[in-house]
Amino acid sequence: MSEHILEVRDLEVSFTAHGQTVTPVDGVSLSVTRGEALGIAGESGSGKSLTLKSIIGLLPPNATVVGDLRYALDDEEPIPYAPADVHGHGISIIFQEPMTALNPTMRVGDLIAEGPRIHHGLDKKAARVKAVDLMRQVGIPTPERRARMWPHQLSGGLRQRVMIAAALSTEPSLLLCDEPTTALDVSIQDQILGLLQELRGSLGMSVVFVSHDLAVLGELCDRLAIMYGGRIVETGPVDEVFADPQHPYTEALMTSVPSFDATAEQLRGIDGRPPDPRAFPPGCRFAPRCQYARDECRSAVHELRDVSAGRTTACIYPELIQGVKR
Amino acid sequence: MSFLSVNDVTVRFSVGSKFAAWIKREKPPILTAVDGISFDAERGESIGIVGESGCGKSTLAKAITGLVPVASGSISLDGEELSGKRDPALRRRIQMVFQDPSSSLNPSLTVEQMLSELLRVHNIVPRDQIADRCVELMDLVKLRTSLLEARPRRMSGGQRQRVGIARALALEPDVLIADESVAALDVSVQAPILNLLNSLREELDLTLMFISHDLAVVRYVSDRVIVMYLGRAVEDRPTSEMFEDPRHPYTKALMAAAPKFGVKKAPGESALKGEPPSALNLPSGCRFRPRCPLAAEICEQTEPGLTGPSEVQRAACHFAWEDEEISS
Repeated sequence: MSEHILEVRDLEVSFTAHGQTVTPVDGVSLSVTRGEALGIAGESGSGKSLTLKSIIGLLPPNATVVGDLRYALDDEEPIPYAPADVHGHGISIIFQEPMTALNPTMRVGDLIAEGPRIHHGLDKKAARVKAVDLMRQVGIPTPERRARMWPHQLSGGLRQRVMIAAALSTEPSLLLCDEPTTALDVSIQDQILGLLQELRGSLGMSVVFVSHDLAVLGELCDRLAIMYGGRIVETGPVDEVFADPQHPYTEALMTSVPSFDATAEQLRGIDGRPPDPRAFPPGCRFAPRCQYARDECRSAVHELRDVSAGRTTACIYPELIQGVKR
Repeated sequence: MSFLSVNDVTVRFSVGSKFAAWIKREKPPILTAVDGISFDAERGESIGIVGESGCGKSTLAKAITGLVPVASGSISLDGEELSGKRDPALRRRIQMVFQDPSSSLNPSLTVEQMLSELLRVHNIVPRDQIADRCVELMDLVKLRTSLLEARPRRMSGGQRQRVGIARALALEPDVLIADESVAALDVSVQAPILNLLNSLREELDLTLMFISHDLAVVRYVSDRVIVMYLGRAVEDRPTSEMFEDPRHPYTKALMAAAPKFGVKKAPGESALKGEPPSALNLPSGCRFRPRCPLAAEICEQTEPGLTGPSEVQRAACHFAWEDEEISS
């Protein structure tokens, strides 16, 4: 039995418009082991959502995807798959904004029942019973009554729970999460994270969670991959990455957010703006904004090097990083 | 008399269809978005307002700016009472920076056109100095002068928000209200905007009202924090004291719910159960009672007032100050 449930190798997503080709995802490799939660962090435009969507084939039709995607069914070795085949058969996805992701013309019960009906051939009645069970499982109070409601009648937190129930309805072994808590209040975000953590334990699901918020990823994930300019720049176990970041971008992200427990010192932030995929800088793509950048960085070849067991970085001078005081 | 004084301000909206109510010969339901908020702010002070969505924090900001009418209570600035209808000179003194700079800036105007229009209409500087003043404003918010020619579409989110701040500052206000001004920005751009607000406050001696759902952000820019729940202030205390020792169970829960570095989430656990009840159908007694871990019989009968051992240390919970002497 292979440990990996998902393997992505040298993934490239590109778009061609007006005779110009842009590559917002440029050579991403990652793997997810069974039961693991992998967090992908990055700013808007870093390619994290495109990476996630290409796993399940939800990219717009004008996108060109190159790369090796492998997924393991049950206990077998990961084998190449067509993204369209895993819909409802092993991989599910939840999105950021439940109001736009849920069909407004379907009652939420029918919406959840649709997956089992189409993909697992359940009849209408059985699927409806299953939908109510799922709604109970994700903590929706009075599920029988709520199953007959429309999405607009539910609060943001309940809608997100409905989306999770719909994702779980096809019994996935891998759940992809595209910033599912960003649009929610802290208290509701806290509830949804608790729910996801609980479902991971009870269903033994693997999770890939994309967010721009490192602290949120830290609460749920075992391992982190930090993305910048369409590439992964650092990977490692969550605790180790937080304690001792090995890429200046990770460190900069951590010192950009005001923290709760630290005394108010000046926040650093990152100078400049994220790179434009139409004109990525040569060499290390973070170099123009990096406080430690040297001349060699501007011509460095992107390569993830091992730092220690399970940790990699793309930075050629990780020893220059001063570390984060928290 | 303090500089900005908000006294028992209440804002009500009628919701639902007025026609349906008229047919049924009923009064349309009234929603009390802000319910008796009072606070004072000195010149140069920074006040943070925190709460979940729907707690009335933005409505309070709009009421102070004069964008929504106040049902009862009063707001005064520098000893002068602010009514619903304000003349331009008075309106100018309280300005607001909005959450989403891409929807609050006019997409068809260049930055220079936006700023000079304001300067012209409000007669801030003589006509021949308008161009110079625009350059000064760009310096103030640390933007390149070349961006004066740019339209919002060409700028990044952080730059747009700086333009939003420049627009507010063009009118030389005394009070700047930032309503979720960094919520729509990437984390790496948030920090410079927060630093800018902090330095502008010192430089221009602004009174800053910073509204956010993010406690950590509020902590970074505020001297004092007011926590709101369903239209009421539940805790109003100096920032450092509140974060060290929160007294209201809602504040405690909000702090526990915020994600922290290096803390793993326990399965199925959450700091705050359920969702806030509808403001149209409030529970009896304390509004936080249905979600409160401390709820007791007294909470059902009487709504706790905002009290505490001193004027600046106040919380609205029957059990907030059990171990201390309450003076007021």
